[in-house]
Amino acid sequence: MIENLVNGLVLGGTYALVAMGLTIQYGIARIMNLAFGDLIIAACFGTFVLYSGFALSPVLALFLIVPLGFAFNYFIYQIVMRPLVARAPNSEALEVDSILVTFGLLFVIQGILLVIFGGAYTSYSYLNTPVNVLGTIVAANRLVAFVLALIFGAGILFVLFRTRWGTTLRAVALAPESAPLYGIDVNASARLAFAIGGALAASGGVVVSMYQTFTATAGVVFTMKALIVVILGGKGSLTGALVAGLLLGVVETMVAAYIDPGLTLAATYTVFLLLLLVRPSGMFGKAG
Amino acid sequence: MNGRLEITGLKKRFGGLTAVNGVSFAVEPGEVIGLLGPNGSGKTTVMNMVSGALRADAGSIRFDGVELTRLKPNKIAKHGVARTFQLVRPLPTLSVAENVLLSFAFGRKRHWGREAQMLVEEKLEFVGLGGRGGEEVGNLTYIDQKRMELARALASEPKLLLLDEWLAGLNPSELRIGIDLVRHLQGLGMSVLLVEHIMEAVRALCSRCVVMSAGEVIASGESEAVLKAPQVISAYLGDDHA
Amino acid sequence: MKQTVFILLGLAVLALLAAAPYLLSDYGTALLLGMTGYITLATAWAMFSGPTRYVSLATVAFFGIGAYTVAVLSEVLPYPLVLLVAALIGLTVAIIVGLSTLRLAGVYFVIFTFGLAELVRQTVTWWEVNVTETLGRYIFLPFEGRHIYWQLLALLVVTLLISWWIGRSRYGLALKAIGDDETVAEHAGINVPGLKLALFAISATIITLVGAIQAPRWTYIEPSIVFNPTVSFLTLIMALLGGPSKLWGPMVGAIPLFLLFEWLSANFPDHFSILLGALFIMIVFFMPKGILAKLEDLRAGGAS
Repeated sequence: MIENLVNGLVLGGTYALVAMGLTIQYGIARIMNLAFGDLIIAACFGTFVLYSGFALSPVLALFLIVPLGFAFNYFIYQIVMRPLVARAPNSEALEVDSILVTFGLLFVIQGILLVIFGGAYTSYSYLNTPVNVLGTIVAANRLVAFVLALIFGAGILFVLFRTRWGTTLRAVALAPESAPLYGIDVNASARLAFAIGGALAASGGVVVSMYQTFTATAGVVFTMKALIVVILGGKGSLTGALVAGLLLGVVETMVAAYIDPGLTLAATYTVFLLLLLVRPSGMFGKAG
Repeated sequence: MNGRLEITGLKKRFGGLTAVNGVSFAVEPGEVIGLLGPNGSGKTTVMNMVSGALRADAGSIRFDGVELTRLKPNKIAKHGVARTFQLVRPLPTLSVAENVLLSFAFGRKRHWGREAQMLVEEKLEFVGLGGRGGEEVGNLTYIDQKRMELARALASEPKLLLLDEWLAGLNPSELRIGIDLVRHLQGLGMSVLLVEHIMEAVRALCSRCVVMSAGEVIASGESEAVLKAPQVISAYLGDDHA
Repeated sequence: MKQTVFILLGLAVLALLAAAPYLLSDYGTALLLGMTGYITLATAWAMFSGPTRYVSLATVAFFGIGAYTVAVLSEVLPYPLVLLVAALIGLTVAIIVGLSTLRLAGVYFVIFTFGLAELVRQTVTWWEVNVTETLGRYIFLPFEGRHIYWQLLALLVVTLLISWWIGRSRYGLALKAIGDDETVAEHAGINVPGLKLALFAISATIITLVGAIQAPRWTYIEPSIVFNPTVSFLTLIMALLGGPSKLWGPMVGAIPLFLLFEWLSANFPDHFSILLGALFIMIVFFMPKGILAKLEDLRAGGAS
């Protein structure tokens, strides 16, 4: 029981981390990014290559992959998203366009991963030594993963709530129309937010690859889970994403342990459905 | 044609803010009544509850003996209540005629086919858009979009019409046309609830007025008397004309 | 008069298409079969998603449900009854999905449909592994390519007729209004959630039937084959390329793209999804309303 709870929290920590990235992209940059999970998977493979090919430890790989994730998303926003934002007459139109374009991007990234790595399940063994936590045995890699997720999560919360940058980004999230009146460059803020979200996806990928197997086609499931966590927690709410992420991780681990591992996605969907029933007006703050 | 609206003890809260706090008044059949008050006094919230866009927290809205309080907007439209929006909301992918046809097709009597097309042309004629049904709504001027919206509201063949600042933003000659149109509706026996800031229009059209401030009714009765009442002047006109 | 000519012309084209298997090689028939399947999918998809702008990413969830139902029941029930059961299952799933998401903002619907195929695939796999203990099934139905083709052709005609009828009816107008502004549509007297649900259910049922009818082509079926996300993706691209708000739009997009996909998958099987994704991004960028609307714009631009 305790073991499953600890494992659930480890998994939930990763979910919370990536969901924070997604909620920053959607809440501030207004891009609903369906290719988000595929970025996570790309980071998984990147870590795998660095570890098994160059013997670079995943913790060090972070210093390479997270900036890469930032840069990649920065350019994606500039090249692909910016024209869509510019032409969209309203936020609904942008939402539809961003959904379509990132759905296309999903297939591009997935296709590239399939060409390079094939469709097989991949994993590597890193710090697979047992550690005693609260009287139960947990793999050291999971602990490292959890601590890293906490560090990144805390880091992003600090940036958003304790720095000038963060205040600017939150202002754009709350009132994109009036932010320019205060001298805020909405475009630059959105680009920055999209890149930060991408960097969080990359960090999530590195972290998750330490303790889970992954395949080139698993991106959809990660996107799905991140989306559900974002909705559970409330759009744009980072603390909400944190709580909801941990909750989903625990629920999944419990379902896998006590019911059946093949039903974890079904459990995720059940949580989502229950949420929609309890909060039919949605958790986005506005009704409808 | 009937059209009696009776509102009693209507309440609505948004989070910590009480937008409407126990509002009661009635619109008699065939009456044009003004709902006035400074910005943020809760007029539009009342309108939105009557049309079903918002759900009241407490109180009741009865129309011709039917309880509307918990009904959805489409059901309320079918009971004979139509509205215009504070900011015009034309449907951009539909033509002018289709915008109006929509309300005929799903309104009180569900007209369709050739008959409906004739009715649409009639309504467009009535609001002064005769022969312009084929145009794109995006190409209409502001006043013409307002005309189109009035035609669309009328096309559901309502007994009560809710006009939310429908006359706002018109120039003096357009305003006169607008006032004449509303007066014409009254002549047809329709009840009208008018949220309005333009005193000229209120004086010209409304026999009675209800004035709201901070979510409550502070005065109601004959327009002339109400507009002179000291609490109205301090709450409303005082802000505007000081 | 003009209408009669159109109807006669349509019937002649239909007769020609029906006779095509006798005129074409087996390969030609197979190509026509696949194309008819995708035209039907794209038309059914656009029936709901075109006017309402609710992007459904769940095409293959329904397609797979149809195919898998046939795989499970083809030995147990007579074929027409199997199709009926498949349609009913698709309809039920569509109603559950619709009821839980269509009252809400469009983004919930997108998210829900996005993972739906994966959910159904995993659930079916789990069921087969744990309950029936048979992953993968054979379909032995005495159908040749042309039999399947004729069924699909009939389904396509029905789909086009439904789409055409909706387009002319008051409900077509209502759907366009919903796509523009749901609040205004509701105040005009339209039961917005009810209409959306009905349309989504019809569209999903047709998609389910496409999957069911095509199932005998595979002879061997397992969840990863019939729940292949590429089907959702192709359907979406086709409908968007042609223009989802026009009756003939999905067909205009589906025919060239299907041929292109056939060529790509024969010549670049490994790079298929990369090329597809890139192509799709281009379409969203340069022809967001589809070819037909683009042509109209060009014509209007040339005239003025």
